[in-house]
Amino acid sequence: MAVVIAAARFWRQSRILGQAALLLLRRPGARGLAISHPHGQQEQFSSLDDKPQFPGASAEFIDKLEFIQPNVISGIPIYRVMDRQGQIINPSEDPHLPKEKVLKFYKSMTLLNTMDRILYESQRQGRISFYMTNYGEEGTHVGSAAALDNTDLVFGQYREAGVLMYRDYPLELFMAQCYGNISDLGKGRQMPVHYGCKERHFVTISSPLATQIPQAVGAAYAAKRANANRVVICYFGEGAASEGDAHAGFNFAATLECPIIFFCRNNGYAISTPTSEQYRGDGIAARGPGYGILSIRVDGNDVFAVYNATKEARRRAVAENQPFLIEAMTYRIGHHSTSDDSSAYRSVDEVNYWDKQDHPISRLRHYLLSRGWWDEEQEKAWRKQSRKKVMEAFEQAERKPKPNPNLLFSDVYQEMPSQLRKQQESLARHLQTYGEHYPLEHFDK
Amino acid sequence: MAAVASAARWLFSLRAAGAERHWRRLCGAGLARGFLHPTVTGEDAAQRRQVAHFTFQPDPEPREYGQTQKMNLFQSITSALDNSLAKDPTAVIFGEDVAFGGVFRCTVGLRDKYGKDRVFNTPLCEQGIVGFGIGIAVTGATAIAEIQFADYIFPAFDQIVNEAAKYRYRSGDLFNCGSLTIRSPWGCVGHGALYHSQSPEAFFAHCPGIKVVIPRSPFQAKGLLLSCIEDKNPCIFFEPKILYRAAVEQVPVESYNIPLSQAEVIQEGSDVTLVAWGTQVHVIREVASMAKEKLGVSCEIIDLRTIIPWDVDTVCKSKESIL
Repeated sequence: MAVVIAAARFWRQSRILGQAALLLLRRPGARGLAISHPHGQQEQFSSLDDKPQFPGASAEFIDKLEFIQPNVISGIPIYRVMDRQGQIINPSEDPHLPKEKVLKFYKSMTLLNTMDRILYESQRQGRISFYMTNYGEEGTHVGSAAALDNTDLVFGQYREAGVLMYRDYPLELFMAQCYGNISDLGKGRQMPVHYGCKERHFVTISSPLATQIPQAVGAAYAAKRANANRVVICYFGEGAASEGDAHAGFNFAATLECPIIFFCRNNGYAISTPTSEQYRGDGIAARGPGYGILSIRVDGNDVFAVYNATKEARRRAVAENQPFLIEAMTYRIGHHSTSDDSSAYRSVDEVNYWDKQDHPISRLRHYLLSRGWWDEEQEKAWRKQSRKKVMEAFEQAERKPKPNPNLLFSDVYQEMPSQLRKQQESLARHLQTYGEHYPLEHFDK
Repeated sequence: MAAVASAARWLFSLRAAGAERHWRRLCGAGLARGFLHPTVTGEDAAQRRQVAHFTFQPDPEPREYGQTQKMNLFQSITSALDNSLAKDPTAVIFGEDVAFGGVFRCTVGLRDKYGKDRVFNTPLCEQGIVGFGIGIAVTGATAIAEIQFADYIFPAFDQIVNEAAKYRYRSGDLFNCGSLTIRSPWGCVGHGALYHSQSPEAFFAHCPGIKVVIPRSPFQAKGLLLSCIEDKNPCIFFEPKILYRAAVEQVPVESYNIPLSQAEVIQEGSDVTLVAWGTQVHVIREVASMAKEKLGVSCEIIDLRTIIPWDVDTVCKSKESIL
């Protein structure tokens, strides 16, 4: 009785406890809890006592005080298809991909690796200003890209060049962006590795981390409205997952029912910050259920596991209009970037372990060898050929001029406002008088 | 008396819109006077809020856009949004509490008319609202995001300045979010204090890539908002909340556009130029007539309307004509 009176007061209904107040308390909520009791008040009270009525959670009562223990000792298990020697563990999980497709996986990963080596070196030699390698994470890129349709929209962070590589982005354009030359589709405005390609549905990379996450969700919502049968995939690292934008993105995707795959590359480090300093819970996969998102953890160095998980996530995301979270466990073998020397915060032994014992390229090569789809001859030939292709593109990119300085001012708005036009004209006049002090010979006229 | 006093105290604890409604009924204040001006004197005056006064000056009824209807500011916003959703099937409206009509009633009726996939609530997260809106716009669909108060736009500052503003430039025009418009209630209302009164346009005024627009009246608001929505650049549209109900004008029912980046000389003068936007245009009109009366000074008044990119030429021409 006292409970009901207190409840009625709280709801600011009439001061007199009437049937009206009681009916309001009994109103069936979203959980459909009201059970009709045509008899006296006692039965009505007991049905209220048994079931919680809160709109905020669908749960039973418990009378034992117990905090839920986060499980970080035995976390969400890691799905894999191949062992570290490239042998299929459970044949029913083998995607049975045709030879050409698996060879494309291998060639994409190795070509990326070759390009990384050459461009890293070119930065060391002062030819480009900056570079980020993808060493050790090639499997996450290629396995996931292969499981998507070519028109699925990709939002990346900065370490997903293999997705573009798999979609046949030409070496010439990778190089053009890194060199900032006239062939760069981005018009030479951004730092190296900030690729973008409209034709291949790869949204241009931006430096601020995790900003792409809520954007990807919006794009997925629009795709849903357009009945496009398209999924959006959004890549980010375990470090970026700490950003507020990541939380925002997950929550929006779940509440607004968006066909999106969140793909987290957990590579163990955010520059120098190890995961033990990035989070205290069970990685990123464990956060998914907190948002109501179906989640899985996979071995990111197992290209078939990545492929299978992404394929299934894609199928269901589009069919059911809901988000999926894939946490791909991997290891960043390279430094964060050319501005980083990771020996300052991790041991060379640790890096060597991953390079030698658990590398996505090696594991796939073992698989190919055991299937008889590859051999040492082809390996040697391919290494030579891929290196040659990269060197050719590299030399060409180096020789091209930079974009015209006029391009400093366009595309700020769709139309150029008069203030910017005046600045553009002012620069042109300045260069006419003082052009000798500028390296104009390297720029497009 | 005690009952009236205690009733008044209870009323002050309600939220702005509700308090205002009750207040009017108690005082019988007319709409035309502006809701802030106290109308009751005597012993009750001590109980009333003492706030500054201005009078909204409606513009003459526009003739060139067809049939007009008496609308206040929030109704003119609803009308603009209605027109937009009617002619652009990709357009969607989202933000906190927009589904039931919005805390300032700007989106009343739109969800019923256009469906829950087009007018919907988002979780309470401004950085998410703007980021989500950018993503919609990247696909080419029209995104109309609401930030509940301009005071809360700051969590979205990174998405606006680092992302929306730079999307086209940094991608070499491969991608853009031009079909994004962010609307937000703006400016002082008398009792909003630190966090329901802010005018943050200055934080955005030097961010190339976005447009910031602030209307002075219902007729201006509808035309400017429609221009923002149709503009191919991300726009922020601040709505002076104090005018939501206080400003009433004849506003065309159909769609029409008022150009962006064009200031309006609303009164010509020869001695000094006064530049204002939003609510302050009406305050400065009063200042101009006081200056004329008391100082014999002839003021030219310019409503800037678009803060960035702003109409340098009109303002400079005004200075030249004075010098």
